[in-house]
Amino acid sequence: MARILFENATKRYPNGFVALENLNLEIKDKEFVVLLGPSGCGKSTTLNMIAGLEEISDGNLFFDDENVNFTPPHHRDVAMVFQSYALYPHKTVYENIAFGLMMRKHPKDDIDRRVRDAAERLEITHLLERRPSQLSGGQRQRVALGRAMVRQPAVFLMDEPLSNLDAALRISMRAEIKELHRSMQTTFVYVTHDQAEALTLADRIVVMKDGVVQQIGTPDEIYEHPANMFVASFLGNPPINYLEGVLQVEGDKVEFLRGDTRLAFPADRAKALLDMNGRKVKLGIRAEDVDERAEAADGEVVAGTVTSVMPVGSDQFLGLKVEGEELFFRVNKDLRHDYGDRIRLSANTARLHVFDAETEASLIG
Amino acid sequence: MQTDRHLQSAGRAPGRSINYRRRAEIFRWLHRAVILAGSLAVMLVVLSPVAWLVSSSFQNEAEIVSVPPHWIPDQPTLKNFKAIFAATGDETVTYETRNKQDPASGDYIPSTAGNLLPAMANSFIVATLVVILNLLVGIPAAYAMAKIRFYGRNGSIYFILTTRVIPDIALVVPFFLVIKNLGLLDHILSLVITYLAITVPFTVFILIQYFEGLPDELDKAARVDGCSRFQSLTRVFLPLAMPSLVAVILFAFLTSWNEFLLALMFTQTAASQTLPIVLASFTSDFTISFSFINAAGLLAIVPPVIVAIVFERYIVSGLTAGAVKG
Ligand SMILES: Nc1ncnc2c1ncn2[C@@H]1O[C@H](COP(=O)(O)OP(=O)(O)OP(=O)(O)O)[C@@H](O)[C@H]1O
Ligand SMILES: [Mg+2]
Repeated sequence: MARILFENATKRYPNGFVALENLNLEIKDKEFVVLLGPSGCGKSTTLNMIAGLEEISDGNLFFDDENVNFTPPHHRDVAMVFQSYALYPHKTVYENIAFGLMMRKHPKDDIDRRVRDAAERLEITHLLERRPSQLSGGQRQRVALGRAMVRQPAVFLMDEPLSNLDAALRISMRAEIKELHRSMQTTFVYVTHDQAEALTLADRIVVMKDGVVQQIGTPDEIYEHPANMFVASFLGNPPINYLEGVLQVEGDKVEFLRGDTRLAFPADRAKALLDMNGRKVKLGIRAEDVDERAEAADGEVVAGTVTSVMPVGSDQFLGLKVEGEELFFRVNKDLRHDYGDRIRLSANTARLHVFDAETEASLIG
Repeated sequence: MQTDRHLQSAGRAPGRSINYRRRAEIFRWLHRAVILAGSLAVMLVVLSPVAWLVSSSFQNEAEIVSVPPHWIPDQPTLKNFKAIFAATGDETVTYETRNKQDPASGDYIPSTAGNLLPAMANSFIVATLVVILNLLVGIPAAYAMAKIRFYGRNGSIYFILTTRVIPDIALVVPFFLVIKNLGLLDHILSLVITYLAITVPFTVFILIQYFEGLPDELDKAARVDGCSRFQSLTRVFLPLAMPSLVAVILFAFLTSWNEFLLALMFTQTAASQTLPIVLASFTSDFTISFSFINAAGLLAIVPPVIVAIVFERYIVSGLTAGAVKG
């Protein structure tokens, strides 16, 4: 029920630190947007600004068409899950969850119904009479989630709401949040530094670094077409590999050269690189974009010596020394490798990434 | 041979190994005994003057000076209390009234005995007003300074604190002039105003410390949950700040109850005199009745003790546990 629009928004903290610079971001009504970035990049700051808890130093913030720069939090229809939970220590779990509804003068039986409903979904019904100090970290986090869930806000803000849960609970809560978004039909802004969480939940992802937006796009766009090396590195596990080298253009054929390694780009990737003969670049190969069983054709070969083998259940990570650099690949686990083995992998050249060695920006759209 | 050795070692084992359980038990008892002895010693030091105060207020002047002192009065008497409660109002001291009784017999009652109860009422009114006004002024001020960032925030905290660096005695004359110009001399309001000047900075300081210790996120959560700033203060912060509020209440009450210097300057008649002033006046006669003064002193400590007992149970620690990530 609300579109959020940041227009050249800047946040300068009183100590002069610029936490957010010139943010332009439109979050559509009912959209699920994930803010993704390393610690300290300004994710919480952005959420706080949407909630009205931090003033905007410069620029504008709109809810729908209304400028809300100076609207106090209790007059913005937002619910928020805080990174540090922020439960009221003197209230029981029940009172914590009910407080927001109480302040908004909902009828008592309606409050009761909603609180119990939320508690059930979060599996904390048996904790309703406890106080926050008697809960585990994960339980506290679920109470914090419940406190926001019972409201029917125009905007739902979540600041790393799953960070303290164990792996299994995290996966099931992800599904729960996705379902919550579907059923509530409101705008969600979700903060995380967990790329897997971002990829599974988001309609669109905003990747941030040091208060500057690096890229905005759907999970696919962000993963398949990272705008720069920072974005590319931030998504993927193990992270993307880089190999520095030069481009060689001959007619409409573009190749990446580094020592004995020679990788040819398919036509659609080559298009953008045609006028870049001799350019110093960094080649990006995602860990999963190799195949060791396929017969590697010329221009697809990545060859190297095995330096480490790490089984990860479903498959294995392989450390490979290629041209003096250690790269990590994810390969099938049926094939056994030993340290020092020399192996050849077939690279999926349609999925190669090329970045300028200096600016680190992507050279292919 | 083998069994022999086995037996030997088995027999030796209990003797050599230390009985840790027994040790822990002994240690635990020792620990308790030391703590008990320590607290008894402290209690003795703290309470024996009070015990003497109580005991001697029921003795007559002859018994009070007997050697060795009687901790339990031989002939308990209510004479002193009767004098206090029966005496009528404001009496002027003259040479004639001063020696109503014969000091030698030990039956001496100061002529101003009747001022004690009105003074107590004055003291109580002043202290209560000071407490209430302290809370009314101190809570919003401390919340603002602890949780709202505004220009001059640090400056104002320092300023408030520096006002307390100045010794009271240096302020007496300026205070006196202000009070005189306000026409409040010999009025209890003069005391309320000046005691506020003394206590509010401390109140604000104590509460700022406490509010700053409460996580910012609590304030933010309350605001998002639909509280205005004021509601966030009353619904979330005040319940959590109970221990510090009690500290503030006790501090303001006791300071006002005990204050002497300013009361001496601003009050002249029984209309506005407070307890410390009247108590002190009992010694300014030619003769001093120790048992009477002790009876008055006993009455003087009753209200603070009651206040302390009433509020003590609100001093609970660990109230904020569980608010944020451990
Ligand atoms: N009150 C403040 N005063 C000054 N600087 C601040 C303040 N709050 C945050 N910052 C700074 O602003 C930057 C962004 O902070 P923010 O809390 O938004 O980071 P974040 O992206 O949420 O990080 P994390 O993932 O660790 O929670 C940080 O570098 C932080 O040090
Ligand atoms: Mg954060």
